[in-house]
Amino acid sequence: MLLEGFATAAQPEYLLYALLGVTLGTAVGVLPGIGPAMTVALLLPLTYTLEPTAALIIFAGIYYGGMYGGSTTSILLNTPGESASIVTALEGNKMAKAGRGAAALATAAIGSFVAGTIATVLLTLLAPAIADLAVQLGPADYVALMVVAFTTVAALLGSSPVRGLASLGLGLFIGLVGTDTLTGQQRFTLGVATMSDGIDVVVVAVGVFAVGEALYVASRLRHGPIEVIPVGGKWMTRGFWARSWKPWLRGTFIGFPIGTVPAGGADVSTFLSYAAEKKLSKRPEEFGKGAIEGVAGPEAANNAAAAGVLVPLLTLGLPTTATAAVIVAAFQSYGIQPGPLLFTNNGPMVWALIASLYIGNVMLLVLNLPLVKIWVKVLQIPRPYLYAGILLFAALGTYAVNFVVDDLIVLLVIGVIGFFMRRHGYPVAPLVVGLILGPMAEEQVRRTLQISEGKLSALVTSPFAAVAYSILVVLLVVAVVLRLRRKKSEVTV
Amino acid sequence: MIAAKVEEYAFGGLVAAVGVFTLVDATTIAGRDDNVVGPRAFPYAVGILLVVTGIAAIIATARGKLGQAEEAEDVDENVRTDWLTVAKLVAVLIAHLVLIDLVGWPVAAALLFFGAAWTLGATWWRALPIAVVLALLVQVVFAYGLGLSLPAGIFEGVPFLDG
Repeated sequence: MLLEGFATAAQPEYLLYALLGVTLGTAVGVLPGIGPAMTVALLLPLTYTLEPTAALIIFAGIYYGGMYGGSTTSILLNTPGESASIVTALEGNKMAKAGRGAAALATAAIGSFVAGTIATVLLTLLAPAIADLAVQLGPADYVALMVVAFTTVAALLGSSPVRGLASLGLGLFIGLVGTDTLTGQQRFTLGVATMSDGIDVVVVAVGVFAVGEALYVASRLRHGPIEVIPVGGKWMTRGFWARSWKPWLRGTFIGFPIGTVPAGGADVSTFLSYAAEKKLSKRPEEFGKGAIEGVAGPEAANNAAAAGVLVPLLTLGLPTTATAAVIVAAFQSYGIQPGPLLFTNNGPMVWALIASLYIGNVMLLVLNLPLVKIWVKVLQIPRPYLYAGILLFAALGTYAVNFVVDDLIVLLVIGVIGFFMRRHGYPVAPLVVGLILGPMAEEQVRRTLQISEGKLSALVTSPFAAVAYSILVVLLVVAVVLRLRRKKSEVTV
Repeated sequence: MIAAKVEEYAFGGLVAAVGVFTLVDATTIAGRDDNVVGPRAFPYAVGILLVVTGIAAIIATARGKLGQAEEAEDVDENVRTDWLTVAKLVAVLIAHLVLIDLVGWPVAAALLFFGAAWTLGATWWRALPIAVVLALLVQVVFAYGLGLSLPAGIFEGVPFLDG
């Protein structure tokens, strides 16, 4: 199956799409202010002219590429970056300042490659097996999985559970607008005709990510020259390999499982990997001053988690990060529902997609090591032009969905909401996940209750659902205990 | 500090208000409510979630727990919010969406890029040609590369620009 996938993905046409995807992905990863979620959302309407396999190969490339590009920025730019690479910034930035930027970039890129490849192998082995099991899940089990995903994305991650849940609620509300799929009733359309089809995912995603981010950065823009640390030192020495390979492997095996379970993607895994490396290191005193292990481990964990996220995405149709949610929307725009039946119904496409991940990883290694100088140039784009460009393409991508100006009004409103959310610590990822998972969750709840003839107990009596809810309760208790303990120690300090 | 608090109350209030709207408007959704769950149940749940979290955010604010503003590479934590810039960008976006149907996409897009870049500190005589070239280029790529025609407006009938 995978070999057939390689045969498809290795066709020159698909190789070009993969190259386009990883190049775009690295670029948006390097550039502050744009992320993979927004880029995939922006490109959604433009890819309607492409066939699904080609479009999904581009999106997968953007997704993996964004992870590589982000580390270049956090190592070379003097300011902290996107959440998943903050840990890299701790050590990588110090290394670059100490004239060892080349080694930091190399361990990040090679570590990402090693982790990405191993994690893709694990994905290849695990996904079909999980899909086979998932076929037996009933609607109540899906409801349980979605409740777990909602809770972890909104309440367990991030600093404020209340604000995460509020963000989730806003996303769920936006998802309600339009015509009810089961009864054909209009909901929350305010009598506006264009609202009866619902608010397009593209408009919402571009609004919160692009317009919201641009307005927020503009409100407190860092003026003056962009300080990029020059790349110095030797690329790879013997000590480099000796100190890097174990953290790469440890990072991979920390990152992949965390990405797989709905525990919210990359951030957690990078922190855990960093803590593990610090504990295991023979030179813990170097941490905080530029320890290469502190770059190698978290970068590997970051990429392995990104691949892990694809497991629930492809086998259950369950997105656990904002980018994954937008990719689900991409599948849906082609009339394909990711889930257990994906491997049976769209086998050739999925395997071509997975094969393209292996190919993309190799391309990314080349793009990010020998060609890193080019990305350093991209990093120096003057910010007024960068954010003006983001706004222009946000407006263009939104307008290109339906060619109606009404969508631009919605874009602006959601952009302003995204701006205030950033100002007040409301995470935007739960909003996007809620928007896309909400309608699916509602359908499954109603299907469950239809089968059970309205008995609410049907939602929890299936063994799988019962186990899922029990695990969730345990997670919540642990989280509360940890939070209380942290508060206590803060008080005593 | 007080301004931040007022804003935070307002946003929490907005969340709760959306929740109240959801609950009230959900009662008007037609649908039978026998033993099967209809189109109203889920909206009620979402409305309750919004009201509860909105109020909880207000309470948290009152107890001094303010939300942490997001960090980003290009954000300077030491400067005060530049509301004028935000207002100008919103105005530029409004101008863009009004102008599309009046004078066509290329002009509206050039104005959006130029306006935004200038607002953010670019030199006007450098931003202007970039804006014009970029807008015309996108117009041509859309018309000939993707086969999607953006409204040409004042360029209607002009070769290459009117797809």
